[in-house]
Amino acid sequence: MKLYQGKIPESEFMQMREGALQTWPTGQDVDLEDAVQYQRGLPDSMNFAKKMHEADQAKQVLLQPRAGVALVEEHIQLLKFLEPECDLLPTTIDAYTRLNQYNEAQRGIEKSKAAGQSLLNGFPAVNHGIAECRRLVESLSKPVEIRHGTPDARLLAEISFAAGFTSYEGGGISYNIPYAKKVTLEHSISCWQYIDRLVGYFEEQGVRINREPFGPLSGTLVPPFASHTVAILEGLMALEQGVRSITLGYGQAGNMIQDIAAMMALRELADEYFQKAGYNDYELSTVLHQWMGGFPEDQAKAFSVITWGGTAAALAKATKVIVKTPHEAFGIPTKEANLEGLKCTRQIVNMLADQEVPETKQMLWEVELIKRETRALMDATLQLGNGNIAEGAVRAFQAGVIDIPFAPSLANPGKMMPVRDNHGAIRILDFGKVPIPEDIRKIHKELIQKRADIEKREASFQMVIDDIYSISKGRLVGRPR
Amino acid sequence: MVLGVIGADCHAVGNKILERVFSEAGFNVVNLGVMVSQDEYIDAAIETGAEAIIVSSLYGHGEIDCQGFRERCVERGLENVILYVGGNLVVGKTPNEEIVTKFKSMGYDRVFTPDTPLEDCINFLKQDILGRRAEDGQNSQY
Repeated sequence: MKLYQGKIPESEFMQMREGALQTWPTGQDVDLEDAVQYQRGLPDSMNFAKKMHEADQAKQVLLQPRAGVALVEEHIQLLKFLEPECDLLPTTIDAYTRLNQYNEAQRGIEKSKAAGQSLLNGFPAVNHGIAECRRLVESLSKPVEIRHGTPDARLLAEISFAAGFTSYEGGGISYNIPYAKKVTLEHSISCWQYIDRLVGYFEEQGVRINREPFGPLSGTLVPPFASHTVAILEGLMALEQGVRSITLGYGQAGNMIQDIAAMMALRELADEYFQKAGYNDYELSTVLHQWMGGFPEDQAKAFSVITWGGTAAALAKATKVIVKTPHEAFGIPTKEANLEGLKCTRQIVNMLADQEVPETKQMLWEVELIKRETRALMDATLQLGNGNIAEGAVRAFQAGVIDIPFAPSLANPGKMMPVRDNHGAIRILDFGKVPIPEDIRKIHKELIQKRADIEKREASFQMVIDDIYSISKGRLVGRPR
Repeated sequence: MVLGVIGADCHAVGNKILERVFSEAGFNVVNLGVMVSQDEYIDAAIETGAEAIIVSSLYGHGEIDCQGFRERCVERGLENVILYVGGNLVVGKTPNEEIVTKFKSMGYDRVFTPDTPLEDCINFLKQDILGRRAEDGQNSQY
């Protein structure tokens, strides 16, 4: 598989599809013309891209949970239970499917049937196949997105779009670096060029499918400039293959000023780079993920974290917010806990709908800082690609230009170390080889030193560990015990 | 000790912290990282002569992934290896006692739920390794 520069020619793409569809028997049922007809026949109210665009125009914040269980009937019941309290529905895919281990997923389905409860952490859509997935979509009245973490999600995409799902999360970087160990970026990016090309094919036929690069990455102290760079690169690669509805994401970090500034910078930077690349006909929206790190076990405390995420989404005017649950500390939630997370978020989002945060000096300073940092990474990456964005992304990771904290992939440099400053904003303790300008490095250093002085200790890995556990233990900044 | 996250699980953060904390406590840590199969743990334990295998699972498939691990260890000649498991081990909120009972019956020496302080894990492991050495009639010092 090679990394394309520009749109994959249709004839080559159709040949690639034949191979991908043979990787599991349910792939044989995919008929692209039938898929397009089926998508055309869905009511507007089921189209994710339309809903996102309308919300963006109206400056609404839409709510979306995460949810997925092993069996179809059980999954339908779960989504129907959540539907009244959310605007957009998910179908979260199980971990075996994410690794293309369809035999294991099948075993999980059988064991779940025998156990009378789901033993998989998501919905194995590939194993269930098109007809069963259509039954799911037809039981619902809101748009449904596939949410997963799959480096090679080609077959899953084919089945999902044929079955009427209208949004697809992920990307060649964002679904590799935080989700895989040994998959090369060349491989995952070329798989996602295929998926974006497939979305581009539907776009050519007048069917708009939404694409959402996964913003939060490792979800662990990721500085805005690192996730923004990945988001914009994946946005550019999607546009290149003909995608026109793009939702860029960001994981809440916890300091409100930094979070609002990050969301402002993300939108402005995306427009800047998309337009610079010659695109004007896209629909851009944003998503904020409520805190992706460790949660307090106490449910009352968990609701407080959820509310803070809802607050950040509302004040930053995100187009949608991905909602956590009070069971987050324990793993996969019950459907009741899932619903409670939605209700909690709805209340705060509604209360903030008519309020605005003034653009203070501090916030605009933060926006400008994030923009300069992101541009440093973006420009270095595009330069490494010499016209080929995908190649640039691969080389940027090799060279340490892009580095994601606490990611499992061997393709990730893992040298950059983040830590919170005295106000809880994420700064960088060790930049590794990330090309941030010297004057900005100095700012980070000073801000971290200020915290170290106040805590009367050196800024060290212990401080980083304290920050990773701090929210689950009751505060934002991991102060010494 | 051999450390790793079992199955198709790619939760990397806690794994990196465990490596650091156990190393600082004086253990010789062989960290296999995320997405480790039962046989990979056993291979590493045989190669390094490890006295304990520490299994993490965060993503809910723990019950499937961890089944048969003790039997596999015995089959491959590691009758006496200390086997720990910890994390978010099952899908859905389940009382801790139920989880501990379930995994102990699968042959794990100790089962840790997310509320366990790391210091406790370190102390248990020191204690269990010394105990196992005593049983084996070894006189080596920790």
